[in-house]
Amino acid sequence: MILRRSLLTLVAVPALLPVSARAQSTEKASAFVKSTGDRLVAIVNGPGAAAGKRAAMTQILNSDVDVDGIGRFCLGRFWRQATPDQQKRYLELFHQVLVTNITAKLGEYQGVTFTMGRARMQDDEAVVSTTVVRPNNPPTGVDWIIADPASAPKIIDVVAEGTSLRLTQRQDYASYLTHNNNNVDALISAMKNQIAQNGNQAG
Amino acid sequence: MRPALFSRSASLGTPLLLAFLALAVLGLAGCATKPPASDPDALADYQQTNDPLEPTNRVFYAINNGLDTVILRPAALAYRYVVPEPVRNGLHNVLSNIGSPVQLTNDVLEGKPRRAGDTTMRFLINTTVGVLGIFDVATKWGYPDHDADFGMTLANWGVPEGPFLFLPVLGPSDPRDAAGFGVDIAFDPFTWVGTGPNKPGWKAFKWSRFGVGAIDSRERVLDATDSITKTALDPYATFRSLYRQHRRAQIEQLENDHRSTSPDWYPPPAAPAAK
Repeated sequence: MILRRSLLTLVAVPALLPVSARAQSTEKASAFVKSTGDRLVAIVNGPGAAAGKRAAMTQILNSDVDVDGIGRFCLGRFWRQATPDQQKRYLELFHQVLVTNITAKLGEYQGVTFTMGRARMQDDEAVVSTTVVRPNNPPTGVDWIIADPASAPKIIDVVAEGTSLRLTQRQDYASYLTHNNNNVDALISAMKNQIAQNGNQAG
Repeated sequence: MRPALFSRSASLGTPLLLAFLALAVLGLAGCATKPPASDPDALADYQQTNDPLEPTNRVFYAINNGLDTVILRPAALAYRYVVPEPVRNGLHNVLSNIGSPVQLTNDVLEGKPRRAGDTTMRFLINTTVGVLGIFDVATKWGYPDHDADFGMTLANWGVPEGPFLFLPVLGPSDPRDAAGFGVDIAFDPFTWVGTGPNKPGWKAFKWSRFGVGAIDSRERVLDATDSITKTALDPYATFRSLYRQHRRAQIEQLENDHRSTSPDWYPPPAAPAAK
């Protein structure tokens, strides 16, 4: 009887381990999203000029977001076709595009708050749900996709009401490239133009 | 950003207009060139995009964009400038309350009794306590709003979405949603009342509903569409992607709504006896 019980324990313990590891991962991912979200909200609602906010935003993007990974994902099948030099120039611009696009929206998000929802594991990634509330807007469900939640958490996607930021961007680039002879250089110069145009407005 | 870019209101257009649109789409159908089988990556992209009518769709996108630039967007901006926020919200609530019969019909056809209950309670509460739908009291009382239209119902029944369509005036769609749009008009009781001659009151009501509905939907997505046209390299492709993702999310939410219909006090079904 005792032998049977200890045997059972032996079998049961390893079976339980992954479960608790997963629970730990989701907890860590939630804490990570909470801390990143708090800092983002502080920047958006805080005082200061646009340039200062842009710098603070860049810092968060570099520390908490896997911008290179998202950039590679967004280029899709064209990443492999690009030369190492094109890849390098593309990624540099991609960082700037992301910062510019986000800073351009800061005004819209004045007075933003968010509440944490549940977190779950999806394959190796954690999905942390939040509800973002802006004054005079219906609450929006926003999911944060976190890679390596247990060891080195990084945001790899933001899904607002079911629309994925990186998937939308990837399909935008794919379509642009298809209509420009699959030429990565054309995409790179279009990105440059875009930064020049929108960056000036954002200050 | 709220991605409900093109909130669907069943009040737009008439069946005749739709028939005309369908003919126009068929008549003008230019086809996108399918990549050769020797380029499997490009072929996979083409199939995933599922937009064989892309050249035609882009023509309609350009026409819509032109109409939007000169008519709808300025109207929406003026509406935002002139009408204060609380009044705009009240108007929006009234419009959404008037859409309750269509919503309820679809809830029932989707076999979602709790959603049908929410819609019914919302209509009863908001029409009375909420003064003809101006104030959304029901949400505060625990009956939140949800999306329901016949396109979603068809999806729930297993009908595939089909290739992407960009329709004149209506915007991004697909055969399933275009059919759903027409059926929703037929579901709407207001389609069938006041149709005879000498009914100026009804006529005025229908046209105001149509006009205010269009301007209200456009005003609510002003910021989102402005920021997309500013940040996307190919806005057409971005709208296509967003429209599909948003519809899929709505359908997924519908299919995951498994709330039980038995009241809280009713004993839950006995769990299988533990061995």
